[in-house]
Amino acid sequence: MKVKEPKSETVKEDVWKPSTCLQCYNSCGLLVHRVNGVAVGVEGNPDCPQNMGRMCAKGKAALMTLYSPSRVKTPLKRTNPEKGIGVDPKWVEISWEEALDTIAEKLKKVREEDARGLVGAGFNRMFSNDFQFSTAFGSAFGTPSIYTSGSAGYFCGNNIHPIWYLVNGTFHSEPDFHYCNYFILIGAQHGFMVGEDTVGNAQRCSDARLRGMKVVVVDPICTPAAAKADDWLPIRPGTDAAFTLAVINVLLNEVEIYDADYIKKHTNGPYLVGSDGHYLRDRATKKPLIWDAEDSKAKTYDASKIKDFALEGKYKVNGTDGTPAFQLLKEHVKQYTCEEVARTTTIPAQTIRRIAKEFGEAARIGSKIAIDGKELPYRPACVYWRKGTNQHKHSMLTGWSIQLMNSVVGAVDVPGGMCGINPRLLPGTVRDFSFGPKEGPDGLLEAQLFRKASIPWPPREVKRPQSVITLFELFPAAPYSTPMWDLVVQNPEKFKLPYKPQVLMHSWGNMVMTSVDPKVAAETFKAFPFQFSFAFEIDETAELADIVLPDVHYLESLDPALQMLLEASGVGLGNWTFQVRTPAVKPPPGVRSFHDTLLEVADRVGFLKDIYHMINVLNHLKEPYKLDLDKKYSWAEIIDIWAKGWFGPEHGLDYFREHGFLTFPKKVEETYTTPFNKPRIPIYLEHWINYREDVKRVTEEMGLTEWDVSDYQPIPDWKPCPAYEEKSQDYDLYAVTYRSPFHDMSRTSNNIWLNELSEYHPYTYYILINSQVAKKKGIEDRDLIRLETKWGNQVEGRAKVTDCVHPEVVGIAGAFGGHWAKRLRVAKGKGVHYNSLIPTGLDRMDMINSAIDCCVKIKISKVSRGTK
Amino acid sequence: MRYGMVLDLKRCIGCYACQMSCKAENATPPGIFWARVLEKEEGQYPVTTRIFLPVLCNHCKEAPCVEICPTGATTKREDGIVFIDYDVCIGCRACMMACPYGSRFYWGKPKDTMYFPEEPTPYEQAGLERYQRATVQKCDFCSHRLEKGLEPACIEGCPTKARYFGDLDDPMSEISQLIRERRGFQLQAELGTDPSVYYID
Repeated sequence: MKVKEPKSETVKEDVWKPSTCLQCYNSCGLLVHRVNGVAVGVEGNPDCPQNMGRMCAKGKAALMTLYSPSRVKTPLKRTNPEKGIGVDPKWVEISWEEALDTIAEKLKKVREEDARGLVGAGFNRMFSNDFQFSTAFGSAFGTPSIYTSGSAGYFCGNNIHPIWYLVNGTFHSEPDFHYCNYFILIGAQHGFMVGEDTVGNAQRCSDARLRGMKVVVVDPICTPAAAKADDWLPIRPGTDAAFTLAVINVLLNEVEIYDADYIKKHTNGPYLVGSDGHYLRDRATKKPLIWDAEDSKAKTYDASKIKDFALEGKYKVNGTDGTPAFQLLKEHVKQYTCEEVARTTTIPAQTIRRIAKEFGEAARIGSKIAIDGKELPYRPACVYWRKGTNQHKHSMLTGWSIQLMNSVVGAVDVPGGMCGINPRLLPGTVRDFSFGPKEGPDGLLEAQLFRKASIPWPPREVKRPQSVITLFELFPAAPYSTPMWDLVVQNPEKFKLPYKPQVLMHSWGNMVMTSVDPKVAAETFKAFPFQFSFAFEIDETAELADIVLPDVHYLESLDPALQMLLEASGVGLGNWTFQVRTPAVKPPPGVRSFHDTLLEVADRVGFLKDIYHMINVLNHLKEPYKLDLDKKYSWAEIIDIWAKGWFGPEHGLDYFREHGFLTFPKKVEETYTTPFNKPRIPIYLEHWINYREDVKRVTEEMGLTEWDVSDYQPIPDWKPCPAYEEKSQDYDLYAVTYRSPFHDMSRTSNNIWLNELSEYHPYTYYILINSQVAKKKGIEDRDLIRLETKWGNQVEGRAKVTDCVHPEVVGIAGAFGGHWAKRLRVAKGKGVHYNSLIPTGLDRMDMINSAIDCCVKIKISKVSRGTK
Repeated sequence: MRYGMVLDLKRCIGCYACQMSCKAENATPPGIFWARVLEKEEGQYPVTTRIFLPVLCNHCKEAPCVEICPTGATTKREDGIVFIDYDVCIGCRACMMACPYGSRFYWGKPKDTMYFPEEPTPYEQAGLERYQRATVQKCDFCSHRLEKGLEPACIEGCPTKARYFGDLDDPMSEISQLIRERRGFQLQAELGTDPSVYYID
């Protein structure tokens, strides 16, 4: 016999408990095998639509984090007043009583002086639920800056969320793998175990490829996605906009494949634009005008009986020249010839032409498909983009260029195209809840989400910053401006911050490692007189704290309503999925839940009732399922009331403890929204002209004369990022980063199994360098090499000589190498830390969405020969 | 009855979930992955690609490891699984020399046989009780799961549905059909080991 009976005492308990994964933020449904109180196995929950029973390597490695000896199990207090990289905090263990007393005292003081002095930083724990506990906590306390960190802004979708709000009316959007036949990925690996909805999309993308979906990957690195693609187009970093504008040029001006009907009826393409870039408007109603080609007459865009919207030409209206926005786009892209763009991108001209033609033809413009008895436009081609395009100066223009590829072929919120995640919920689907896009100013789509978010339409007022520490008021087109935080915290006077950052409440995200150069990032944390961190393990960011509070692992945690309306549930017919993460195992003695701890803090400071009130308001809780301000609740009791309020008395916390999630079938109108939408989407960003003027005026008043507003242009261009100015022969390579399918930012780096996998893997801990370049530079496989920027930032690592990388590029995986935190005993010293090469500054940011430019040029040198 | 697997190389994206699923299921010691993904580059820039090849014990019909085992610890079961009885294995490692696929692993001395020897985790303690030190171990198609009517862990977890399990002797099984319809092949078939793991691409 092989499998021995456990030597331990008789099995007292052998159960499977539902829970939800949090190795990344995609919330895969789990079943946790628990024997005698110990989790011994984690499997995908086959019934959960998020992952349909399947899991990734990260999720499978959960137990080695859950039972990691690096876990913090008691509150800790710093005794060394000096903070810094590599400086021992000299922790001493303290009681919960002392820890909470100290924190409450600090918070009381801040709240009395100026509550805005409390700043929250973190990612998953504060952010990844729709229940909005953190927002409730922040509002009740009186601070607007409750999840502002370099973290979210750095890796997250600076150039995607604002665009998807405008186009799909959603925070997040995805390709429709159910019907897509031609899929272009630019700087992204969506469908290949990276990105949102990873496991669900890996299955759907795999099914689509098997039925013949073509995949084109535009990326300087031959990622797993590129390896599986029909075409890998290695591109020079930061030139994606040139590529896409050339593709649009081919579509509009060479092969003439575009969805004129869609552009006329569903976009602002026909709106007439005057010489000042603004719409021509009806004098009485102020509505934008279009030209009816059949009546030869200007009419408001929503006039009845428009016979034919003119998309091309030039028309005189009341003595003023007006040109349809589409015509402007068509003319504008003519400068992006394939030949010129080939020099910019290194992608051959004939390849650009071929891809454009294939994409246009695959979109099958004019075709229809019947789904669930409804006839819908069928556009089975789309382009998706992500971090690779995101982290550049001018990234907003890049994102917009890419989106225009989808827009001109009508592949927006229709089967096979790019679709918003959860744009609409009809009453009756999930009890009486409902939301959905509505018609905003100028007939353009206004996102109406269940969760109130900072959507970029209708236009927002630009004014002197008063609230969020990241100067959000100066970023009217963005949903957040988190990367500003290093600059503002370190220079509050320069940015005229009207209050002082006093206390930093930090949870989970390791921003010192995941934002910019850690030397810069650490200074930001040090600038706070007091920092308390909820930590599972003491990473580099928690190592700068004054007090550390031990947090539960996600398998011990109770978290409601994960991701459900933001990113979950997928595109296409399927289910609305509502999950509650319920604890599968008990936390070790001395470890308390994040939420209960914060409720306790609020009680001590004296704003617990305000939190209850905000929870009621933000979650639309009504009698009898609403919090009574005069009672006191545990976190579990709050979740129970919320769940019953939303899903009925039979679906309280007990239901979720037993099942893990709740689903409701989706309707066609809730997922493929374009044919059911009256509002149009922009292809021309008229309001950005105003933003350009407004932001310029306000920043000049503030003395921020270097604030560049030139990217606020209604039609995008490719613009070179600062690294292109670097002409020195020494700094001749671009350093880029790419994501690994088995790591999630820096948080998985201390997992001993994932470390073992990374050591096993041929690329993960290495610096990728093209074989021809390596030969010229005398670098061989496994040599220790140094990368250095002209600012003196440097990293060292072992070379991987490969043909899987663009010759002008060196590649470094994910944001997880190079740890130094004393207690990260597994991760310490492993891999290469890409972000160490990345400086920050207004000159290195996209000033529309605050993305930090990751295009850096480096000099490479050999430190020592490698050992074979 | 002959248990077998089909691995779809078109679907496989090199995400390594199988490698980790196997480790998590079987609590294999440090340095040992029963299921692995092999990667190699093909071509010259810019016409380059990466090939992902998931591998595991092939449970060969004509298994060289069974023939060479001096103690009879490795046997071929009636269901086709090549099985090691740790109570009989003396750790001579002849089977490791005989296996042409490198799918057998020796579990070494106590010192380097745990992830956290100073503070063994409760999970690891529970897991490692299943094995004996100084023996050879390998994939057994998760026979403990098969007994419960479950599929092997690597099959159940694969995010792209690239792995299939079933009975090669049943011509109507999903795997037999996949092998027929998509021209399944075995690794190093010329060796005559007749693996029970097939590949399609």
